[in-house]
Amino acid sequence: MTRRTLRRPDWLRAGPAVVLALTVAVGTLVALGLRPPATSTAGDIAAGTPVPAPALSGVTLDGGRFDLAAARGHVVLVNVFASWCGPCRDELPLLVDAERRWAPRGLRLVGLNIRDGTEAVRALLDETGATALTVLRDPDGTRAIGWGVRGVPETFLVDRDGGIIDRQRGVVTRQWLEQRVAPLLAG
Amino acid sequence: MLADLGTVSLTVGLAGATLTALLWLRVALFAAPARPARLGTAVTLATAALACGVLEAALVRHDFSVRFVAENGGRRVPLYYTVTSLWSALDGSLLLWLLVLAGYAALLARRRYPARLHGYAMVVVSVVTLFFFALSSFAANPFRVVSPTPADGPGPNPLLQQHPAMGVHPPLLYAGYIGLVVPFAFALAAPLAGPDGRGWLRAARPWALVAWAALTAGIGLGAWWSYAVLGWGGYWAWDPVENASLLPWLTATAFLHTTLARAAERAGWPTTLACASFLLVLLGTFLTRSGAVSSVHGFTDSPLGPMLLGFVLLAVVGATVLAGRRPPGPVARPPVLSRGTAVLINGVLLVTIAAAVLIGTIFPLLSGPLGAARVSVGPDYYQRTAVPLAVVVLLVMGMTPALRVRDRAAAARRLVLPGGVALATVAAVGLLSRPGLPALTAFGAAAFVLVGLAREVPDRLRQPGPHRRPSRLAGLVAHAGIALVAVGVAGSAAYGRDTERTLRTGETIRVADVTARLVGVDRGGGDDGMSVRARLRLTAPDGAARTATPALRYHPARDTAVALPAIDTGLLRDTYVTLIAVAPDNGSATVRLAVNPLVGLLWAGGGLTALGGLLAALGATRRRHRPPVPTHRPARPAALGSGGVR
Amino acid sequence: MKWRGALTALALTALVVAAGAGLARSAGDSPGQDPVRAVAAGLRCPACQGESVADSRSPIAAAMRQVVADQLAQGRDRDEIRRWFVQRYGADVLTDAPARRTELLLWGVPLAALLGGGYAALRTLRPRAPRVAPVVTAAAAPNARTAGRAWRAMSVGLFALVASVAVATYHLDRPARQAAAPADPIAVAVQLARDLEAQHRYDAAARMYREALRERPDDAVQLRLAFVLLQAGDTAGATGAARQVLAHAPDSPDGLLVLGLAERTSRPAEAERVLRRFLTVAPEHQAAAEISRLVGGVNRVDATAPPDTRSPAQRSR
Repeated sequence: MTRRTLRRPDWLRAGPAVVLALTVAVGTLVALGLRPPATSTAGDIAAGTPVPAPALSGVTLDGGRFDLAAARGHVVLVNVFASWCGPCRDELPLLVDAERRWAPRGLRLVGLNIRDGTEAVRALLDETGATALTVLRDPDGTRAIGWGVRGVPETFLVDRDGGIIDRQRGVVTRQWLEQRVAPLLAG
Repeated sequence: MLADLGTVSLTVGLAGATLTALLWLRVALFAAPARPARLGTAVTLATAALACGVLEAALVRHDFSVRFVAENGGRRVPLYYTVTSLWSALDGSLLLWLLVLAGYAALLARRRYPARLHGYAMVVVSVVTLFFFALSSFAANPFRVVSPTPADGPGPNPLLQQHPAMGVHPPLLYAGYIGLVVPFAFALAAPLAGPDGRGWLRAARPWALVAWAALTAGIGLGAWWSYAVLGWGGYWAWDPVENASLLPWLTATAFLHTTLARAAERAGWPTTLACASFLLVLLGTFLTRSGAVSSVHGFTDSPLGPMLLGFVLLAVVGATVLAGRRPPGPVARPPVLSRGTAVLINGVLLVTIAAAVLIGTIFPLLSGPLGAARVSVGPDYYQRTAVPLAVVVLLVMGMTPALRVRDRAAAARRLVLPGGVALATVAAVGLLSRPGLPALTAFGAAAFVLVGLAREVPDRLRQPGPHRRPSRLAGLVAHAGIALVAVGVAGSAAYGRDTERTLRTGETIRVADVTARLVGVDRGGGDDGMSVRARLRLTAPDGAARTATPALRYHPARDTAVALPAIDTGLLRDTYVTLIAVAPDNGSATVRLAVNPLVGLLWAGGGLTALGGLLAALGATRRRHRPPVPTHRPARPAALGSGGVR
Repeated sequence: MKWRGALTALALTALVVAAGAGLARSAGDSPGQDPVRAVAAGLRCPACQGESVADSRSPIAAAMRQVVADQLAQGRDRDEIRRWFVQRYGADVLTDAPARRTELLLWGVPLAALLGGGYAALRTLRPRAPRVAPVVTAAAAPNARTAGRAWRAMSVGLFALVASVAVATYHLDRPARQAAAPADPIAVAVQLARDLEAQHRYDAAARMYREALRERPDDAVQLRLAFVLLQAGDTAGATGAARQVLAHAPDSPDGLLVLGLAERTSRPAEAERVLRRFLTVAPEHQAAAEISRLVGGVNRVDATAPPDTRSPAQRSR
């Protein structure tokens, strides 16, 4: 009798067996999870089908008016920037230059200046030679949130039909402008 | 020189721990005399102490040829923080861990228990010691020589140089964590030791109580540290390290309670819970020391991760196989409405809370391989799972004093007063202030518990019994502490108010009835960074005015700014001011002003709870000394209800 | 004593009603908690790591709080606002929605624990028909043979444990072993500095590199020093170190890279020139893609994420 019980492995009872199985499963998962995660694709985001751009209109910094809806037929770059953001300062000249070159082919550039002071923006524009830039002010940043902005700078590419077809998180590069914006201007 | 001595002591310790484990195994298997094994345990402790001492000496003497000192020491660091820097980084903290572990082993070795139970338990403890010695010698040796010797070191992490509590908090927490190895060892030894093993609960209980009290105090101190020193505004962030300390606390609490219910004991609850507690300690060590789950407390990545994971898995398998061998004891049918039932219900609830916290903590590790993004779980999840369950635990806890009485009608009568007060509390608080459902129920439950306990005090003191009065009140004290903590948590969450504004000099910010006026901003340089102070004038409704000077210290070495809060502690509420940013011209400062009511109850309650644990431990040890441990009589759970933390 | 019981019952009923009223009042959204904060706490700050919009201090989070406040003022409720954010930021913006499929784990595990524990508790309290008195298998003292076997197995197991830790260290901790192997003091100093660098202690690492350089000037070490100084924010030091390398190796790609990055704020035009040179010299360099983006418009990302200036060695890890 004693031998029988000895021979039947006691630890094969349901509870312990379940614990063991779970341990193996969780252990494998955790061991897999310990491996460093694949590098995240932070920078750019792949363009998908255009989504309608949210409304964007108002009085510009120099007192004029801007309405995105009125800019149908143009390709519009909406650049979200602020004077407190170093990289924004760096990318502005490139954007202004692009507008200067491509305006005849239908490009418009509008800056959405978030959580900033008027004097600070003016100083930034002077400094970067972007005084002619159309700037809409967004002192509390709510308009930018309406656009789904995740950080500054961020630039949206709006096509001639008013759809956002691409967005660049972080700094805009010449390469991006050539590859993403230029083709829209060709047609 | 010191480096060599340290390495040698670790090597000798490794050999000693191996030998000790084998010697204790001889005691258990062949009934060999325990004397050599005891000696081995003492030698192991001596080597661990020597290793710690050598590293401390190297730190204090600024011997930068030792790698750990070169990486964590610094000539400008004050002596106190030089001493505490032993546990400010991974390799040194492992040495402290070893010292505490070897200390517990030596204490356990000195006690008298039935030979086979003692032998097997010591084998388990020795194997754990052995593993950590191996880790320290091979994977995380702090004594590797650095050459050429650098002239100076960077000093420990600046976050860990801010408050003297650094000298108390980690050792206390370690004492709690590692103490749980003893119940674990007894739980594994009991099924192996045959008849000798029947008294294991009685043997394990004082150890578990001491460890539990230390863990409680450690967690409380950690929360206080978080609140008063780290300055992010709260005391508990459901951070992986905090969770890692909470997990074993939950299961250890359940363990201590199930030892009081005979039915639960027979069915193997204490065995499972004792094993789970220490396994969660190991798992927590893995999670926090391996950098697997990023956390503000986490140390950097190291090869320890996979090894600790391996050991955790090994321990789980070993414990399951060993403890699972034990068939359930003879059945007994306890009355449904009894303390045993309440203890079991709370045991299940505590385990459920632990499961929620555990899965929330390791979720980022699991979600990656399962194909989802590696996201961490926010406090919201814990508030929706752990908090409601905790309120139920409180309610059940409040019922236990009444359930002591066998007669149902009498029990019901005893619940009338606490229940009435609880309902009145809910009604009054709910109708007057609307604190939100979780907080309101927590208030009610706490009132229920406290009134029930107050009624219990005279009974307890009148009760005849061999042990001294304080330990009879242990359970009451601990439960009252828990109820106070609940009130503190609920109150500070429900009635806390805060606001954040950028102020120019002379402008004011107002929260509830407290006004703060920015008087000025001072900038100063320091050895280890720059600091900015804001001077604010606080005005309370009674007209009393005080000055608060929160600061922001920037540590260039880590590129982090640490906010040092200014806290004006009152009887019922704290005024908490943090400096968030300062304009470059010193003309304005962004300030967060918060009023945190009832936070003081948290610290008081935490202290009471730990005190309750200690009192119970005293009672349990004393009781163990009075009657000699019976070795052949099936153990009754230690004197039901007479002095344990219930 | 009947009247006493009745009175108690009456009082309790009144209390239950009052408490119910209190609970009902509290169950609605409590004005006690700042409603903006309540909603913001459920949103993940897109510009930060693991912080909610309520807790984060980034400007984007502040703007999101403002949006929440505005929408609450317009009378939208929590769910509408959350939907609004999900439309713009995706489901990831909700703190409590990590992932649909795996989310089940978060609720399933506690539920399983509750059910499993409850079942076990039920079995404890109401055990099934008393089974045959269980035979305590391990109760008897082990006989000599089993004891001997256990002894041998255990001793082997212990040594295996120690050996496996040693072997695992050997395989997992290569860099550390390399540090121990060479007796060359400078190599050790460099290794130590690398350790410090990996721990983001750039100041201390710079000190170690300088020490190594005093003993034996070496362009590779000089470059690492330059990288570390750049990390530590000492652009002047980084510029100096990079110039020293470029003095005798004018086309060193890493030297150009550091110099260009270091001068970006002080002399942007010069920096762009240097970085372009870097791109022409080393178009295949690991940092080239990043730099070409930088040079396109010079610089990237907001203040919370400085441009990637990790050293090439770190990148390749």
